[in-house]
Amino acid sequence: MRRYARFAAAALAAALAVCAHAQDTVKIGLVNEATGPNAEAGVYTHNGAKLALEEINAAGGVLGKKLELKLEDNQSTNPGTVLAFSKLFGEGGIVSIIGPIRSTQIQAASPTVAKAGIPTMIGGTDPSLTKVNNRWVFRARPNDSYSSRVIADFGVNTLKKQKWAIIHSTDAFGSGGMNALTTALKALGVTPVLVQGYTNNSQDFTPVVLAIKKSGADVIGSYMTNSPDVGIFAKQLRQLGVTAEWVGSPSVVTDTAMKLAGPALHGVYGIADFTPDATAESKAYAKKYRDTYKLDPDVYSSWAYDALRVLALAINTAKSTDPEAIRKAIVGIKGWKGVEGTYNFDENGDGLRGYNVVKNEAGKVAFIKHIDFKD
Amino acid sequence: MQFITENLQILFTGLGLGSIYALVALGFVLIIRATNVVNFAQGDFAMLGGYAMVLFFTGLGWPYWIAFIGALLAMAVFGVLFNYGVYYPLRHRSFLPVLISTLGASIFLQNTVLYVAGPQPKPLDKLLNFDGITLGGVFLDSQYIVILVATVALVFFTFLFFEKTLLGKKLQATSQDKDMARLLGIPVALMIAITFIYSAVLGGIAGVLVGPILFVSIGMGSIIALKAFAATIIGGFGDVKGAIVGGLLLGVIESLAAQHISVPYKDAYAFLALFLFLLFRPQGIFGEKVSEKA
Repeated sequence: MRRYARFAAAALAAALAVCAHAQDTVKIGLVNEATGPNAEAGVYTHNGAKLALEEINAAGGVLGKKLELKLEDNQSTNPGTVLAFSKLFGEGGIVSIIGPIRSTQIQAASPTVAKAGIPTMIGGTDPSLTKVNNRWVFRARPNDSYSSRVIADFGVNTLKKQKWAIIHSTDAFGSGGMNALTTALKALGVTPVLVQGYTNNSQDFTPVVLAIKKSGADVIGSYMTNSPDVGIFAKQLRQLGVTAEWVGSPSVVTDTAMKLAGPALHGVYGIADFTPDATAESKAYAKKYRDTYKLDPDVYSSWAYDALRVLALAINTAKSTDPEAIRKAIVGIKGWKGVEGTYNFDENGDGLRGYNVVKNEAGKVAFIKHIDFKD
Repeated sequence: MQFITENLQILFTGLGLGSIYALVALGFVLIIRATNVVNFAQGDFAMLGGYAMVLFFTGLGWPYWIAFIGALLAMAVFGVLFNYGVYYPLRHRSFLPVLISTLGASIFLQNTVLYVAGPQPKPLDKLLNFDGITLGGVFLDSQYIVILVATVALVFFTFLFFEKTLLGKKLQATSQDKDMARLLGIPVALMIAITFIYSAVLGGIAGVLVGPILFVSIGMGSIIALKAFAATIIGGFGDVKGAIVGGLLLGVIESLAAQHISVPYKDAYAFLALFLFLLFRPQGIFGEKVSEKA
């Protein structure tokens, strides 16, 4: 009996020690897709954040304390996201949060974040997210208004092509992209010769390809959602003898699309916000990520890695965990080199204004150039 | 001239896809005739066939033909399991429990494959070693040629099997009147099991054939099955000829309408055709062959 009492006392002491220790950390929440249909991406996001956490703590943490990551699952759903945010805010002691990468989930949780007034990093790329009168969201990725501008700029100014065909899925993402690309081309004085939509999971793109052929387009700009659609379209495009250049949204350079389409996608340009070969920072990160996890790094991990480091930097600059002070410090970050690009935060909370252009060179993604905008 | 080549091009892919609808529709019809139930997992038979091929050919590196035969054998075994797991325990119940049972099987199969094979769609090599041939300005994809030839061969084989062999006649007798067939000494349960096997193999062949074009993915079956189901209604519910003609017709209507009217509404045309048929000729092109079922 006495032995158990002693054991209990020891356990209690240990627990108290842990508590005391816990008070010495600065807590940052991570609202992440740990379960549900996007759980795979959630693992990568967690990986990226953990890597940043180890680095920050190895370099002395923040404000002389260790940084601690509090993981909260959002079940890959909008209600789950709101719940996860509420739970973290309710616990207290959370100084900042890294939110999800999906725009729809952020949209759902945005009022909760605004009410709590805690700085939150987001990865969703819907341009409106930082413009809804919420001072507390900060984006660690370029928003979608830049993707179309990069596609247009690269096609018109680098490839020197004027006859554009825009191919887009008719879903929200594809239609939004089509509108943005049309506007971006107009700003460069180009009116597309063809704008052609299709529904997701089309099994046959022959009519689309014939329309491109007829239009005489010499460059294709695309916003396609699903990899199988990219694969089927690419194959039929080349089979029917269309040799036009192709600059697409990120879906054309995903691993899956490239595997499905094979040679049909060779030579195609795509845009990507994270490219391992883009900069010295991204190269170093890619190496470290591969060494740690034996996986290839992607945007799901890289944005979280940057997001946590931005927060740590801001807290250290602010010399405080006061939300207002952290906000001021984040907005003050200019010219900071992350793995996704160089961060220049504006009052809205947008940190990045450009994309990498990459090319599918015989099945491998090769970095071509980085295009950044000032506004 | 350009107009003609364009339309021939459209017609070619339309017939190719239509053939796949026809093969899956044929599987539907055989099961409808044998059990009076629509098998909602018919599209997933194609999906499973596709994944079996990916496993044997890409995964295990078997030669194409061995992998192909392996996939068909796997589908035959699966047909037996499906019969005894999904249909047989409910054979004396009305048609609704069986229908729900096949629906459940469909969801179960998709999620099991998702768990085992992961969400990424898989590419599959073509049967022939060349991409295709250009004939008078029309590109003929070698896989579509294979699909057309295979469909004709399978339809011919199915016809011979059902009309000219004793086993086929027993199967027909079973589908027309189970009690009468039983009185004549035909093992009805076995006949239905054979129908499921045949139907699973047909679905599997459709999956392997279309895999190189649409890729092998969890959802590939559902997309095809929906069109194939429309094809069985257009052709005549439960009619073998109707399934083939309905499938081909649907493929062609879709493609031509997409080319000449509007691409984004491609799927709508198939269902518009279905709607018109239900309105003006609900019995389908060929009507009911087996009148005693009415």
